[in-house]
Amino acid sequence: MSSQVLSRRGFLRVFGVGIGMTVLAACGGAASQSGASTAAAPGQQPTSVAAATPAGQSAAATTAAPVAETQTPPAASAGKTVLRVQANPDEEKPTEDLFIQQHPDVAFDNLSITGIDHEEVASKILSMVAAGQPIDLGYAATEATQLYAGQGLSLALDDYVKRDADTLKEYFADVHPSLVEAMMYEGSLYQLPFDFNAANMYYNTKVFAEAGFKHPADDWSKDDFYNIAKTLTKKDSSGQATAFGYGWINRLWGSWMPWIFVNGSNLLTEERAPGGAWLWDTFYKDDPAAKGRGGGWRWRKPKANDPANVEALDFMVQLYNEGITPAVELGGGGTLQGFFSSGKLAMTPAGGFWSGGLHNAGMKRGDFDVQLFPKWKNQRHQFGTASLFIFKQSPHKDLAWEYYKVRISKEGMKVHGVFNPVTLTTPTRRSMMTAERFAETGPEHWQVFYDTLDKHPDTAPIPAPPVSNAETTLFTSYTAKAMALEMKPQEALDALQKELEALFARNPKMYPAE
Amino acid sequence: MAGKRRTALGQVVANWRYRFGRVAITMVLLFLSIVVLFPFIWVLATSLREPAKSFSVPPELIPKDFVWGNYREVFRRIPFWKQMTNSFFVATTVVVGQVITASLAGYAFAHLRFPGKTVLFWVIMATMMIPLQATIIPVFVLITKLGLADHLEALILPSLPTAFGTFLLRQYFLQVPGEFEEAAKIDGASDWTIFSRVYLPLVRTGQAVLAVLVFNGMWNEFFRPLIFLTSKERFTITLGLNDLKGYMETGSISVVLAGIVLATLPVVAIYLAGQRFFVEGIMMGGLKG
Amino acid sequence: MGRAVATYVWAYSQKEQGVSTLSTARERLERRKTGTTWLAKLREPTLKGIARREALTGYLFVAPTLLGILVFSAGPVIASLGLSFFSWNVFSPAQLVGFANYQRLFGDTRVLISFANTLRLVLALVLLELLCALLLAMALEGTRPAWLRYFFRTAFFFPLLMSGAAAAIAWSYMLHKEFGVVNYYLGLLWIPKIPWLASARWALPAIVIVYIWRQAGFYMVLFMGGLSNMPQEVLDAARVDGATGWRRLWHIVLPLLSPTVFFAAIIGVIGALQLFDEPYIMTRGGPGDATRTAVMTMYEAAFKNLELGYGSAIALLLFVLILVVTLTQFWAGERFVFYQ
Repeated sequence: MSSQVLSRRGFLRVFGVGIGMTVLAACGGAASQSGASTAAAPGQQPTSVAAATPAGQSAAATTAAPVAETQTPPAASAGKTVLRVQANPDEEKPTEDLFIQQHPDVAFDNLSITGIDHEEVASKILSMVAAGQPIDLGYAATEATQLYAGQGLSLALDDYVKRDADTLKEYFADVHPSLVEAMMYEGSLYQLPFDFNAANMYYNTKVFAEAGFKHPADDWSKDDFYNIAKTLTKKDSSGQATAFGYGWINRLWGSWMPWIFVNGSNLLTEERAPGGAWLWDTFYKDDPAAKGRGGGWRWRKPKANDPANVEALDFMVQLYNEGITPAVELGGGGTLQGFFSSGKLAMTPAGGFWSGGLHNAGMKRGDFDVQLFPKWKNQRHQFGTASLFIFKQSPHKDLAWEYYKVRISKEGMKVHGVFNPVTLTTPTRRSMMTAERFAETGPEHWQVFYDTLDKHPDTAPIPAPPVSNAETTLFTSYTAKAMALEMKPQEALDALQKELEALFARNPKMYPAE
Repeated sequence: MAGKRRTALGQVVANWRYRFGRVAITMVLLFLSIVVLFPFIWVLATSLREPAKSFSVPPELIPKDFVWGNYREVFRRIPFWKQMTNSFFVATTVVVGQVITASLAGYAFAHLRFPGKTVLFWVIMATMMIPLQATIIPVFVLITKLGLADHLEALILPSLPTAFGTFLLRQYFLQVPGEFEEAAKIDGASDWTIFSRVYLPLVRTGQAVLAVLVFNGMWNEFFRPLIFLTSKERFTITLGLNDLKGYMETGSISVVLAGIVLATLPVVAIYLAGQRFFVEGIMMGGLKG
Repeated sequence: MGRAVATYVWAYSQKEQGVSTLSTARERLERRKTGTTWLAKLREPTLKGIARREALTGYLFVAPTLLGILVFSAGPVIASLGLSFFSWNVFSPAQLVGFANYQRLFGDTRVLISFANTLRLVLALVLLELLCALLLAMALEGTRPAWLRYFFRTAFFFPLLMSGAAAAIAWSYMLHKEFGVVNYYLGLLWIPKIPWLASARWALPAIVIVYIWRQAGFYMVLFMGGLSNMPQEVLDAARVDGATGWRRLWHIVLPLLSPTVFFAAIIGVIGALQLFDEPYIMTRGGPGDATRTAVMTMYEAAFKNLELGYGSAIALLLFVLILVVTLTQFWAGERFVFYQ
């Protein structure tokens, strides 16, 4: 029948369009691929691309700018040991290449983690482990450090560190002890910090200048901050705000946690685990900043409704009520960055990662700057730090450790894609904090990032016990309720306290019994 | 049933009211379609702007200066064409596969009799009632054991059978009156002939609907590609676009939106191209010509 | 034989006014039947044979789907449901805990709230999307210039072409209280700025809006297909009989459309009960637990807190819920759905 024939033709047409586009795309892909092979960087063998380059990635230019070419699928890296690393291939490649120069019989398989959440990363890793695909090097930030250590996922690096103490002396001398302590758990070291971010205060210089404000003093107070925020909040004729003085994102790091800290409090009680002397005595013998440090943090009990916390939350709600802070939403920094870069937001807590981030968002050097967080009862900052860890079940532990050392070496860090060409997160090495690094992106007062650690050694990591994920859910949940004015701060924190207590009661084995 | 009698004048009035009603409805539809299409316009406009200007109110729907850099950035950051190819490959293969399996199974459940039919039907239906995230780990273990991890076939194979498609086509088959079958059977037509010559042509709508939905679904899938695929060059485009979000979400929103525009374009193109077929399918699939 | 079939189908797809072509075709076939050849008599299968052959065909047709489902769905489903009796974090061996997960579930307010949210959402979403879709489909049916109808249909279907995640991202920006475009346009109508994603009161409606925006088009097209399938003779006969628009709608159109509505309701409910992408991206379940859905709590339990056993228990509970609701719908379908 005619209609039947037509429909068949129609179907073929659709199919044809699909095939056509596929062919077109494949041609386009092939073209760029052949282009890439000819642009082989010096030092790479143009033949047997799969063998020479890690995981089949086609030769990239020697500049560190990540160029995403169409790549051949990872051919069998015959006879090579493959290290599986949880890292963004583009960023990790320069460091991996460095390693391969010393170990040409190693290939890398990278599990990309950019742009996806903790839970999505976890679901991927869990699936792989369940399916018997061991990963050698995983990635963990403060939020997950104790979780993995406590669950037996990550390997304690004590023996390796002791064995290679001579090589690592230089590293530890370059890294502030508070960062190292954040990666210890019950006396053992599980990770060597690679990057960190403390919550400092970023401000829009144009907005400041227009109102006649200068760079705040190092010890500016909460009241100073309040005055500035208030002045910089602009409303139009109908009373609706057109620019906000201060804004933040609801999460564990950043958000209003810095205010809890500068008010001399914390969300959970703090203790130091015993032990760790093997590390402190070896590497930080003469460092006053290492005095009194132990074997890692213990956050045993919640104290969500401590009066200092309530005071801090009251302050946040007050800022919202006065129209100084916009409605607080969940999620990443995407929207906040947009507001900040368009001059609609004057100040916000952020770390070194914003220097690159704002640059990518279109802000120029000089458009923004950073200062320490304002002082309240004290000026104790909060930070988060991150690094790789070695999986306990890795079949290549020794090799993984070799790569680990390269990765935290001066050379390894310098070429890594996360610090090149723009700084997307703060390096843990003091020596890498140079004017040159921030020359292109700003901020002008980049020294603030590491000063936070050096000048305020009481700066501590965000409270992240093994149950930090559930803790974060609860924390953000009640924060949101308070900020939406559905609960009074005292109420919200009381309820939070109750739930945290229940959470901790369900997990009695986080730390050894007292 | 007693009908309403109309005077000649009443008829004229009725005509006017009808026409006025028609115009009014069309106006409402026009307004609604603009509202519905607005997000696309906004996304397109913002992707062509500097991220700093994304939040200017009133929104500049026609950007003053076109920032094509955002699109260039997308191509720079991810292996765009390769990932597009992957998505196409997966989506088209699954569409063809599902139309076949669902037509067969849907017909069987609608018109064939065999012992255990109801049980089997509910077993198949039940698999729709478990969220994907609950079964992803066992499925991934299975996929790995089959050696399909990090291959596009891992996405295709489990998607060839479809509970949804079976259910959909069963509904369409059920709407075909039974007389056809009787007549064909009387004449000794084999089951296959009845199926392929009598019923199949009458469910073209169902197949068209299934094809469009499945293409859409497979194209926009995120979670399974995330878990099953590891190498960037094997990623589907939806998964690949995530990289644009950057570390700790510091990526520029304009670039993210540019990525979204680029990923949605092929689906739109396919849909528009397949429209004719779609229309035919809807018109033809029924009992009126 | 093929000719008989062809005659039949041709006759039916021709539009005859008033006179049913069925009778004519049937008559023709009757006439043919009387003259069966001895060969045909031989080929005439026995009753038992017919039944067996039909069953075999049935199994054959169902085989690809069934096999695939058993391998790729049923197995993993049973595995993950069984997991609900264990405590497992993937890295250590699973420990049998019996019903402990379920005991905890029923006392876990967060989970219970998420289920309540899910049920409320489902009610709102399915009713709204079906209603909108039906209204749109009917409105479009009568739209005269074909190109206009074509444009509307495309426009309303468009949102479905965006992935749920992409839509959620775009809408998160648009729904921002201070700088989102939605509030800007509402402001032009003198409506004060609504804190869409930051307040428990408005977060759920925001998600409903985004979801309906995306899904209504699909159901609209489904209904349009159903409407165009209406046997015109019946509708014409009714109009001649003097039935007004309303009565036509209620007594004829809707019943004839019921198989489509039934399908839409089943699929709509199953989909809405598993809502995840939009609330996850737009609000992460907040503020508080206002937009936390059942699948979200399951996902967080499994992949955030590394408690896969508990997550599976939640999944099992959800599964039972979906099954019960669907069975109820099917039962109702027995009574209300009209197949020709």
